[in-house]
Amino acid sequence: MLQFDRVTLPEETESLRRDVRQFLADNAEHLERPNSDFSTGHDPAFSRKLGSQGWIGMTWPKQYGGSERSFFDRYVVTEELLAAGAPVSAHWIADRQSGNLILGVGTDEQKARYLPPIARGESYFSIGMSEPNSGSDLASVRTRAERVEGGWLINGTKLWSTDAHRNHFMIALVRTEPPSENRHAGFSQIIVDLHKDGVNIRPIRNMAGGEDFNEVVFEDVLVPEDRVVGEPGNGWKQVTSELAYERSGPERFLSGFRVFVELVRAAGPDPEPALAAAIGRIAAHIATLRRMSISVAGMLEGGKSPEVEAALVKGLGNDFEKLLPEIARLAADDSIAAAARFGRFRESLRDTLLLSPSFTIRGGTREILRGVIARGLGLR
Amino acid sequence: MTDTMLTDAAERMFADLCDKAMLDAAEDGAFPSALWNTVAESGFHQLAMPDSGVSLGDAFAVVGIAGRHALPLPLAETLLANRWLAGSDGLATIGQVQDGWIVDAPWGRAADRILGLDAERGACVVVELGEGVQVREGANLAGEPRDAVALPDGAEWLPLLEPAYAYLALARAVASAGCLARVLELTLQYAGEREQFGRAISRFQAIQHSLAVMAGEVAAAGRAADAAVDALDGDRLELEVAVAKARVGEAAGVVAEIAHQVHGAMGFTHEHQLHHFTRRAWAWRDEFGNETHWQRRLGRHLAAGGADGLWAFIATRG
Ligand SMILES: Cc1cc2nc3c(=O)[nH]c(=O)nc-3n(C[C@H](O)[C@H](O)[C@H](O)COP(=O)(O)OP(=O)(O)OC[C@H]3O[C@@H](n4cnc5c(N)ncnc54)[C@H](O)[C@@H]3O)c2cc1C
Repeated sequence: MLQFDRVTLPEETESLRRDVRQFLADNAEHLERPNSDFSTGHDPAFSRKLGSQGWIGMTWPKQYGGSERSFFDRYVVTEELLAAGAPVSAHWIADRQSGNLILGVGTDEQKARYLPPIARGESYFSIGMSEPNSGSDLASVRTRAERVEGGWLINGTKLWSTDAHRNHFMIALVRTEPPSENRHAGFSQIIVDLHKDGVNIRPIRNMAGGEDFNEVVFEDVLVPEDRVVGEPGNGWKQVTSELAYERSGPERFLSGFRVFVELVRAAGPDPEPALAAAIGRIAAHIATLRRMSISVAGMLEGGKSPEVEAALVKGLGNDFEKLLPEIARLAADDSIAAAARFGRFRESLRDTLLLSPSFTIRGGTREILRGVIARGLGLR
Repeated sequence: MTDTMLTDAAERMFADLCDKAMLDAAEDGAFPSALWNTVAESGFHQLAMPDSGVSLGDAFAVVGIAGRHALPLPLAETLLANRWLAGSDGLATIGQVQDGWIVDAPWGRAADRILGLDAERGACVVVELGEGVQVREGANLAGEPRDAVALPDGAEWLPLLEPAYAYLALARAVASAGCLARVLELTLQYAGEREQFGRAISRFQAIQHSLAVMAGEVAAAGRAADAAVDALDGDRLELEVAVAKARVGEAAGVVAEIAHQVHGAMGFTHEHQLHHFTRRAWAWRDEFGNETHWQRRLGRHLAAGGADGLWAFIATRG
């Protein structure tokens, strides 16, 4: 059965939390966004400031620019940033995912080359998994890399690659062997330099008006031999082994947190009963999701790989992220008289509502997560 | 750390004794004396007494196990009344003072004494039950006795030393979380056994997804209840109870709904045991403050603290 242990953040995280709050107060000019979505605020200047604080790649060895902090420390930093609506998307994927992958299975040379600039907040990565015909069914990926004289020749198209037009690198999941009986065999992960390797990047406007995700086309793109991360052919295992990290973090339930803050601000100190109840309802959900998420962080810190629990936190968190704007919308005073008081709230609500369809799609759809949970329950 | 020797013993005893026949009889209004005697002989009714050697959190853990098995005794009430009334032993229950009565007292008809709470006044009265005390029998929608006892003239009021209402709300939240975990187990088992279209219904994706949703709600309920128990010694118990009671209450509705859907007509029969648990989950949502009650309590506190204090409230260590 699924396990969500009582986990208490270590005492030392408190002083770190104070430092992050002070840092945010000192850098308020970066905090003007109306939402807390981790993937919509790309601000290299802010990422560099975080890097110089030692708050990117903080669990990594010092040798590679990290500060050898615990996973709990990282948790505290990330949740403080999200709750404040900080623009974290530039370094987010490199910090959460790409850097860990390189650290885990990369060569010493790759670690030395890629990790320190990530930790400084200067080098940003995108995820290249999805394709036009491969979404949930990731194993149907067709982009292929062929071993040729002088490296790997890549052909194919990646889709929905967030920030590929702004970031420096993509780690692409590609076929390095033709499909076989075992549909999970023959994949590799390859680092692509999005500026130098000659890929074709086309931003795709989303329904909220942003241009964050992209189509990335590879036509005979040649990358050097040493760009494969980990064992060639071992790509599937590598992409699935990091899922617990990707799925259980605070970004999976805090995307709408600014809506909540603005709702409380507009409500004033003595709201009418229905509005007070809405505030309490949202708080009860967030407080509980956060504790579940920290339970998973505790398991990760303890060296376990709680994939099912992580999928459950993401699924529950994403559904709640969609519910939050609905609860808030119906609780807020929509009279013209309240227009000024609820002005910032409405801006935040509009922004988050427009982003909300993506919450239960990106990083594994609701349906795919439910499948993972069902497997964990022994149903398949 | 939970005392696992204690909780294992409770789990074994309640699993052993709470069968369907016993639940049916209790819901028909007959006090299960034999069950009570066994529980009392083991000292479970004294777990929360100040000198019991057991932490209050562990006493609540036992209440959760009682919820898991729908134990047809007023265990939480007895635990807390014996804690609050020096020298009290035996079957004690708790109700709320209202218009000259102590109402909604679990098994008032069978208790040795009853504590009447007036949470607003911060006070309580104690009535020794016996000859001449008027008792009006009633029940909640799970068929659990909820009796009213007439308040005698000149009853003596005592101050409440602990947040009694919050403790009782917490007891319901903890018991519900245990009960919901059981509902999930029953439903997983049924889905694996029931066959239609030539295979177990657990093979159908629609059923799998419903069960996944249920598992999420059960996990959330358990985590929320645990966190409130952990807050027993802190200075924000009432607010953590608000989080737990509100969150567990929401979970109860979803879990009961899915459980019945997956069980089909069988789960709608009286003969099947599912309803003993789902009806309790429904009933307990409304006892000691429903979701709205606690959401408001929490919401008012947060609004008074202002938008900039919101995150600080949520970002606790534990
Ligand atoms: C904002 C945003 C940013 C993204 N960023 C990136 C990125 O940076 N890099 C990247 O690689 N990808 C990215 N993605 C893509 C994302 O990973 C995919 O959208 C996701 O995996 C789902 O794939 P799809 O959109 O093709 O939907 P599909 O897989 O076509 O699914 C459509 C619907 O069918 C359902 N479905 C599919 N299979 C099943 C099944 N077996 N059982 C039941 N239902 C099923 C799905 O749940 C969904 O409801 C991003 C997506 C979004 C929205």
